[in-house]
Amino acid sequence: MASTALTAPAAKDRRPRWSRRRLGEHLAGWGFVSPAILLIGIFGMLPVLWSFWLSFQDTDLTSPGTFAGGAKYAELVRDPLMWDAAKRSAIYTVLFVPLTMVLALPIAVLLNQRIRGITLYRMAVFVPLVTSTVATGIIFNWLLNPQFGPVNAALSKAGLPKQGFFQDPNQALFALVAMTVWGWLGFAVIIYLSALQSVPKDLMEAAALDGCGRLKAFRHVELPLLAPASGFLVVWLTINSLQLFDEVYVTTKGGPLRATTVLVYHLYNKAFVDFDGGYAAAVGCVLFLVILLVTVVQLAISRRTSFYEGR
Amino acid sequence: MTTMDAPAARRLRFRRPSPLHLILLPIALVMVTPLLWMVLLSVSTEAETRRFPPGLPSGIEWHNYSDALHDAPLGHWLGNSAIVSVSCVIGNLVFCSLAGYAFARIRFLGSRALFVAVLATLMVPFQIVMLPMLIMVRTLGLTDTLGALIVPNLATAFGIFLLRQFFMTVPRELEEAARIDGASRLRILFQVMLPLMRPTLATLAVLTFLQTWNDFLWPLIAVQSPEHMTVQLGLQTFQGSHTTNWPRLMAGTVISQLPVFVLFFVAQRFFVRSVATAGLK
Amino acid sequence: MRQPSGRRITALVTGVALVAGLSSACGSGGGDAKKITFWHGYTDVQAETITKLVGEWNGAHPDQKVDPVFSNNDNTLQKTLASFVSGKAPSVAYQYGSSITALTGRHQTQDLTSLVKGDPAVDWNDFFPAARQGATVGDKIYGIPALVDNLGLVYNKKMFDAAGLKYPTPDWTWDDFRNAAKKLSGNNKYGWAYVNDGTEDTVWRFLALLWQAGGDLLDSANKKAAFNSPAGQQAMQLLHDMAVTDKSVYLDTGDQQYLNLFNSGRVGMLWTGPWDLGQINKDVSYGVQYLPGKATHATISGPDYYMLFDKKAQKTAWAFLKWLTSPQVHLRYATQTGDLPLRASEEKLPGYKDYLAKYPGNKVFIDNLSKNVTKARPNIKQYPQISQVLGQAVQAVLLGKKQPQAALADAAKQVDDVLAGS
Repeated sequence: MASTALTAPAAKDRRPRWSRRRLGEHLAGWGFVSPAILLIGIFGMLPVLWSFWLSFQDTDLTSPGTFAGGAKYAELVRDPLMWDAAKRSAIYTVLFVPLTMVLALPIAVLLNQRIRGITLYRMAVFVPLVTSTVATGIIFNWLLNPQFGPVNAALSKAGLPKQGFFQDPNQALFALVAMTVWGWLGFAVIIYLSALQSVPKDLMEAAALDGCGRLKAFRHVELPLLAPASGFLVVWLTINSLQLFDEVYVTTKGGPLRATTVLVYHLYNKAFVDFDGGYAAAVGCVLFLVILLVTVVQLAISRRTSFYEGR
Repeated sequence: MTTMDAPAARRLRFRRPSPLHLILLPIALVMVTPLLWMVLLSVSTEAETRRFPPGLPSGIEWHNYSDALHDAPLGHWLGNSAIVSVSCVIGNLVFCSLAGYAFARIRFLGSRALFVAVLATLMVPFQIVMLPMLIMVRTLGLTDTLGALIVPNLATAFGIFLLRQFFMTVPRELEEAARIDGASRLRILFQVMLPLMRPTLATLAVLTFLQTWNDFLWPLIAVQSPEHMTVQLGLQTFQGSHTTNWPRLMAGTVISQLPVFVLFFVAQRFFVRSVATAGLK
Repeated sequence: MRQPSGRRITALVTGVALVAGLSSACGSGGGDAKKITFWHGYTDVQAETITKLVGEWNGAHPDQKVDPVFSNNDNTLQKTLASFVSGKAPSVAYQYGSSITALTGRHQTQDLTSLVKGDPAVDWNDFFPAARQGATVGDKIYGIPALVDNLGLVYNKKMFDAAGLKYPTPDWTWDDFRNAAKKLSGNNKYGWAYVNDGTEDTVWRFLALLWQAGGDLLDSANKKAAFNSPAGQQAMQLLHDMAVTDKSVYLDTGDQQYLNLFNSGRVGMLWTGPWDLGQINKDVSYGVQYLPGKATHATISGPDYYMLFDKKAQKTAWAFLKWLTSPQVHLRYATQTGDLPLRASEEKLPGYKDYLAKYPGNKVFIDNLSKNVTKARPNIKQYPQISQVLGQAVQAVLLGKKQPQAALADAAKQVDDVLAGS
């Protein structure tokens, strides 16, 4: 967090909170953030407040609602579909986030080498990012088609049993993890790549002079410097995986037998099939709280492990 | 600038193919499969795309591309997408740099709460906030204009968060030195910090461009007139409820993604280490 | 917009406070009486034809111009709701029949009852019954039929020949159907394909089966589930026997591969409508027949509608739609696009012979409209929820995860709960 960034020096020369210098800092800080805050306030914060208010209403989304108190939250707690959806979202997130990051880091390190054709490799990793979700869904439906898809064809050739993938309630969520890891890998790689590029070169050279091996230098110099990028990725990937929707919509539509009805898919059904705006908003608010909690914890952890800030 | 001559030294190593190709090549193939698939479909006949399992096209039907351009005002929509995306990239680079720097390095009243509030806007699913966002757009008189696509995305929580994280990695000493010399915050940001952040700024630019270029749901509900549509919305004109003209849709998709590839190609040069880092000491 | 004035901010806050009430305060206004907006999802030939027809209308009615705007059908409902919030609702929009109950009860949606009933020239009873029923909620009419279709049996003649099977006849029974599917299957081929994504695409084929067995979805008052009946069990049992026991059914995940598989000679029979005929490749020789029967050969129709959302533009919109859906104009449209006729009287027009000559496969579907489309889905607000429940039940049976009886009993209980309002 910004304030901790100053903890070390601030501890040394603790000035009165409202000294002239401090006032200047406050004004500078606010001056710097105000254009962005104004925009995000209007198009981000106010709508969030609106959804909070909506969760206490009984409304079909476009007509005037009536006050419902906490009824929607009570309904939500009693709704077994909600709990199932929450469980699926949790399983998905726990698989998706670490898997993406663990795969992305070594690829980023590889793409940071100076070898012939590296530009082409970088472009290739970027491809899934550019591919639209709809196209991704069509391709994976084809690849994983239980009867005619190439993946099952390969399994049969290798003497392994054919799998159901998106058609099997026990496998669909995992197939979805595989597909989305593929889709997001490029994103995580780019973030890591740019973090690696920002590692001050002299540090690595100093490490080399100290006789550190390549791997050791990576572990002791580069890895800690990647902490802010990792912190960013954990938070960003978690936010997005808890809000997983598009990829489900273009592949399984929440099925089979609700096996991929994750939280936001459930919310979407409530909002745009049942037109229970209040309930959908209540699910949104609960999700908000969960993500907020995860984010705050993540930021706290990443603050502690951040190389420069912790010094 | 002791490292300026380093690339010359490295060039010597380029001769022998690196064993890393053995790892990188399979990864690259897995990643590009769908692109190849898209390109194949875009040069197939309609009948060929209506078979399963699919086979290779018998000939190359380039006319799908001219058909796609001829059937719909793709050029106009590409122009709209470009206006929207470029505006958002510039907006994000400026506003998020300012805010990200302040959140990372200036200790000001309420900064912690404000930063969490910014992140909080990402935590409610878009399906819920999109309707109140429309009301904001309407209140500002931007309904069904390109402004409705630009203004809400000029500064994003994503950009602020990303840049803040990377500002935190810049060694504090660099900044302290400039402060002692009496440089203002703004000068430090633009003359010391941002040059160090070139790879990250390039990343933000690419990702912002990509995000706004490929955005679908927001333009879908914020814009109605064909003259304000973006290319992603426009591609829908090839998709009826029961019949989709796959070759034309894929040709249109390939055309619509070309600018993003070009941008990435240009931007990835900036990903190369900024040599200034070492020289700034 | 960097520095919004104080008034702007107040307006914003009021905007938030009024959100839900906005629609009532601000009404709608995509067009005025002079020029109305018309959202449609037509592509290819359909788009060309509608553009031509609108041009013709605009030429003849310079004060009542229509501005056609493309909007993909799959997104139109969401887009329409959003337009209510953003205050720029379309004058007319093409909507799926299933969207009607979601749109009624919102004040932008225009009740057309008095217009339809008050104008003999509309000749409402000339529209096919399925289309009329789908437009009516309670005793009010909310849509003008834009498309009427239904399911028929489409089969690959070459696959039938290869299996030594006789082509389906109009009086084919479920047993004939099941046996044929079984003989067509094996060696990576399937007799039948069933869309198994749990959406309405899964449900409506089951409804046809249920009606064929003489059953019904709900009781006559739409208050209780009626499908947990002998007819319902027979229908589910057939799905179970074919998909699980015989393994003669290709289960489509919803990506519509079934049609490509049909084109490739891997699926022998489809239950589908006229919209798919245009996508069957030229080298595939196919036939169309009524659905097989149990008690009846009932089929199901999924009509779509033009709906009105702007009171100010109502007069122009109404005049235009009346013209567009009149027998002569619609037959011209259908002759270009292969749509089915909307009205019985289109069959008596001189151009009808040319239409049939151009689309011989449509004959079965047209006869279905007067013969076998005997029932319609209940037009009630809860239908989408009921459809979800049934979709799960059918899916569970097709995947062999539940026995027909258990699936029906569970679904019936859930539907009763939905109807009881819990």
